[in-house]
Amino acid sequence: MTATWFSAPAPVARRVRGYFAPVNRAAQTPVIFDPAEQGNFSLNAPPAPWISLGWIQGFTRKAESKTAAVMTGIPASPLEQVRETLEAQVSLEFLSWTKLTMALATGSQHMNVLAAASGATAAADGATAATAVTVQSGSTATFVALASADAATFSAGSIIALDVDYTGQTGFVGSPVSGAYVRTALTDVDYIRRVTFNVALVSAVATTGTTGLTLAEALPGGAPAAGAKLQAVTGFVDREGGSFYQEWSALFVMEGSQGERIFFHYPRLQTMASAQEAALPLDSKQKTGLARVLLKGNFLALPVTDPLDGERVVCYRSFLPAAKALV
Amino acid sequence: MQNAKDSFYMALRTRLAALNPERTILLRGAVRPGILAEEAEAPFGLLPNDVFVLRWLGLGVDFDLGSTMAAEQCEVIYQTCGSQSFGGLDRGRALSEMDEELTAMVQPFWTPKLNYTATPPAEMLTNVFWDEPGFGPIVTQRDLLSRSAKVMVYSYQEQGE
Repeated sequence: MTATWFSAPAPVARRVRGYFAPVNRAAQTPVIFDPAEQGNFSLNAPPAPWISLGWIQGFTRKAESKTAAVMTGIPASPLEQVRETLEAQVSLEFLSWTKLTMALATGSQHMNVLAAASGATAAADGATAATAVTVQSGSTATFVALASADAATFSAGSIIALDVDYTGQTGFVGSPVSGAYVRTALTDVDYIRRVTFNVALVSAVATTGTTGLTLAEALPGGAPAAGAKLQAVTGFVDREGGSFYQEWSALFVMEGSQGERIFFHYPRLQTMASAQEAALPLDSKQKTGLARVLLKGNFLALPVTDPLDGERVVCYRSFLPAAKALV
Repeated sequence: MQNAKDSFYMALRTRLAALNPERTILLRGAVRPGILAEEAEAPFGLLPNDVFVLRWLGLGVDFDLGSTMAAEQCEVIYQTCGSQSFGGLDRGRALSEMDEELTAMVQPFWTPKLNYTATPPAEMLTNVFWDEPGFGPIVTQRDLLSRSAKVMVYSYQEQGE
């Protein structure tokens, strides 16, 4: 007899994959994950605008919602239940240090350390930066056209930040991700490039022919906007303190051994803890030896209103069963 | 359980052939990818060099599931004396190469379960899956370097198995 179905036990998963996408802070619009249309995406190539942050560990989600019984009668007995509060938290550890994972795991602005101008006065988050160079027309997400003399100031291996000049605006700044909220006008013309997420690594420099920088990875913001400028980045810095909270849409995926998938989609996650690290010994028998330094992230899930029925929710859990598994 | 063992072996064999087509063995008159299941060949006096040998060890069964799950431990043994052209001085490199091939072969950590008693092999309903290999230390016997790695291979029992 040929079997055409099987009874699937609980999913067996190896690790959790994490994907994040920027919330449009000004419009308060999160990114929605649709399990019907996007559920079978390649885990190595998530649909835009989701950005893969690779494997994560220690993924823990905790529902803090509270329910209470409405009591009636003598003696009192439960008539019905009501949800008193709606809250959920997520914690995890990132297995890599990148611009994005650092930003997600910090409780405030995450800044690029711009290459300093010659002789600039020292500052804790980077001295006054060397003058930005103007991006030329013909640029794409992976190629930044520059004048030949400007291109020659960079080399393969440089990190660049690309965004517009700061001109005194207030509110959320940075494209495509809001990197900060400016309450009162500042004086640093490079401020947006300090907080922008539009950063990339230079893989090649061309100073003849079509001059510019070839990037090893696409700019998160896509092709540079008109008026964008470029500066070299030497590293990243974040601070304990401040009043800005990162907010992202998040998607966590567990892929089971039989091809089934469990998705946890948080439309709005805000960092709720300051920057923390965890040391994981490489050799469990030698706890004082080499240790991997992991970024710890703790997030608070904020609610969205589901247009389906107007309910306020903080998380969607989807399950796509294995092929031919009984449901 | 035999289908799971066959599927695991065939997955590794297919992946090895793609990773390093030059790693082969002449066995029973045929040139094959350099990996074999010990229990499916005539007994060896000495294990062949530069070849992966799969040896099945322990077995555990969990009945308390919708489908019974079997866990079978597979030991992958490999050894080398290096190449003649370098007088065996490259035996460390040769073993490292086999380490890397095994690391690559086990990924992804699953393969569809097939019934190889049918011709062509019949695809079954579930996948066979396994954990990361646990590599043992290098064992040196004069000019012979060997290592074994243990992998726990899991599968669900299907109707008719």
